[in-house]
Amino acid sequence: MGPVHHDLAGEPIFEPMIQIDMEIKAFVSAWKHCDYVSTYVARMISQNRSDSVHHSNLFSSAFNELLEVAFRTRHADGELACRVSRHGATDRIELTFPCVPEERQFYEEAVSQFAGMEARERYLNSVSGDLAPSREVVLLELAVDYNATLWIDDADGDAIKLVVDLPLEGLQH
Amino acid sequence: MSPYDLLPRFKAQYDANNQEFSISGVVRPQAIDELGPSIALLRDAIGHVRGVLYVNVRRLTQMNNAAFHSFSRIIIDACRARPDLKFVVITSSVVGWTSRKFGRLSAIEPNITVEEYDTEFYPGQGFLEEGGFVPILRTQTKLTWRHERAILPRHGMRSGIVMADICCGIGDFAVLAQKEFQPSRIVALDHSISSLNYARRVMREFDIRGIEYTYGDASEMLLDEAQFDLVTCRHSLQIFNRPELILKELYRICKPGGRVYITNEKNSHCLGEPRAESIRWTYNEVAKLFGHFEMDVELGPKSRRYLIEAGFEDIRVETFMVTNLDGDPQDFADVIAAWADVYAGEMATRRGDGPEFVARFRQGFEDHIFAALHPKGYTGWPIWVASGRRPQ
Ligand SMILES: C[S@@+](CC[C@H](N)C(=O)[O-])C[C@H]1O[C@@H](n2cnc3c(N)ncnc32)[C@H](O)[C@@H]1O
Repeated sequence: MGPVHHDLAGEPIFEPMIQIDMEIKAFVSAWKHCDYVSTYVARMISQNRSDSVHHSNLFSSAFNELLEVAFRTRHADGELACRVSRHGATDRIELTFPCVPEERQFYEEAVSQFAGMEARERYLNSVSGDLAPSREVVLLELAVDYNATLWIDDADGDAIKLVVDLPLEGLQH
Repeated sequence: MSPYDLLPRFKAQYDANNQEFSISGVVRPQAIDELGPSIALLRDAIGHVRGVLYVNVRRLTQMNNAAFHSFSRIIIDACRARPDLKFVVITSSVVGWTSRKFGRLSAIEPNITVEEYDTEFYPGQGFLEEGGFVPILRTQTKLTWRHERAILPRHGMRSGIVMADICCGIGDFAVLAQKEFQPSRIVALDHSISSLNYARRVMREFDIRGIEYTYGDASEMLLDEAQFDLVTCRHSLQIFNRPELILKELYRICKPGGRVYITNEKNSHCLGEPRAESIRWTYNEVAKLFGHFEMDVELGPKSRRYLIEAGFEDIRVETFMVTNLDGDPQDFADVIAAWADVYAGEMATRRGDGPEFVARFRQGFEDHIFAALHPKGYTGWPIWVASGRRPQ
């Protein structure tokens, strides 16, 4: 797992693992980019996990959902940036992508409601509901099924930065 | 990069005899229409079954939420429309997310149950995975390695290759191979969590790098195709009731032009002097005992046939004999003592053998130990090594 570092203020320091940037236009030109990027990144960052194959499978599964969320952005210009960093058993995904102000507000509200038992309830309801899973439900599932912690960070201009901490190493066999 | 666009990413099938719908591979559609034929197949299956419909997702490696939702909807709707129908979703403990995700369905509809298929692949599973075999594996590898280190280069082992050791047990072979040949990467897979924990502990304590231990089922691995130069599978084909299924997987993950290397025994050919008769009797019985649990420890000489039938070419077979003269005779005696413990112990008990049989059975092992340690004695344990190349 490697040594675990903290900075002076006691905040854990996440060591960068990999970063992929591309024009959002290029990204949304083909759906398979989600699958391709998630599979590739998962493989790259999982090699030194205690079970690389499983880690990669779970990571790809979670990351692909996030990329599919970004894929649906209504803003057509700017950059998509994916950064993965690590602190001990936790992998952090930072996904920055352009979005319109209403979308930004939507994400902020969605993410603020993820704590507690209701999250689980709401997730279950959505599975049995008629509607295809919304972007909110997709994020909710990460919190419920993967023990992920999600929040929104500042980003420049018409963009949003979604941060997801995934403690996958703890979820394994 | 794999030939990404050419590969079909998933497959759905319906087996009417077993009332089983299965879906496998990577299912990540953008729009639900892409699932059209699979959804229609599931609907059709639901229309035809009576009683239980099995939904097999054991080999489903990825499925996005959009696809999950549309398959779940159909199943949930069917539960509501036909209360007489039950659904059993079969997941695999090997694919981390499936049990959890599909497990949610049973909270929604009581007629949906989710079963993790794994615990009983084959009759001998229990004692092979639960601890008892660890001492056997330790002592065995110590002895076989002396021979295999010289043999392996003739079967494709060299430095810098990417290799996999499937059914790696406690990982001793992977560690030895790593030290001796320095492959660039070793993936070592087993289905015993306790063995893997042991292997990982060794790796940490001795600061070994370059080996990735992974939990998996050799007959359905999460590993991608065509990625290894050498795939080894030692002393393990012989424990499966259908070795050809494992070979198919070994073939799949091997690169075209790479080799698959297997070792197996023929237990009835273990020998010793003095007391040859008693020893021979006992090892004949060992073969029958494994046979009772549908394991073929006589497989060694059949390796060539299995490799040919699995589609390999340039097949090479050789044998070596581990003997009490290889090193310290006590090492050989330790292996036999470990066998006696499990074979004349737990395995015989499970078969329901009486005390008289067990006493005679055990005597053969004791005689073998006697022969191994005897100043003029000679004991042998023959192993068959075979490898084949995956065609280009
Ligand atoms: C006889 S041991 C051989 C171990 C090792 N190759 C050696 O030579 O020491 C057989 C191994 O196969 C493993 N095994 C059994 N069923 C398996 C499965 N379905 N998938 C992967 N490994 C399995 C067992 O856990 C055990 O470690």
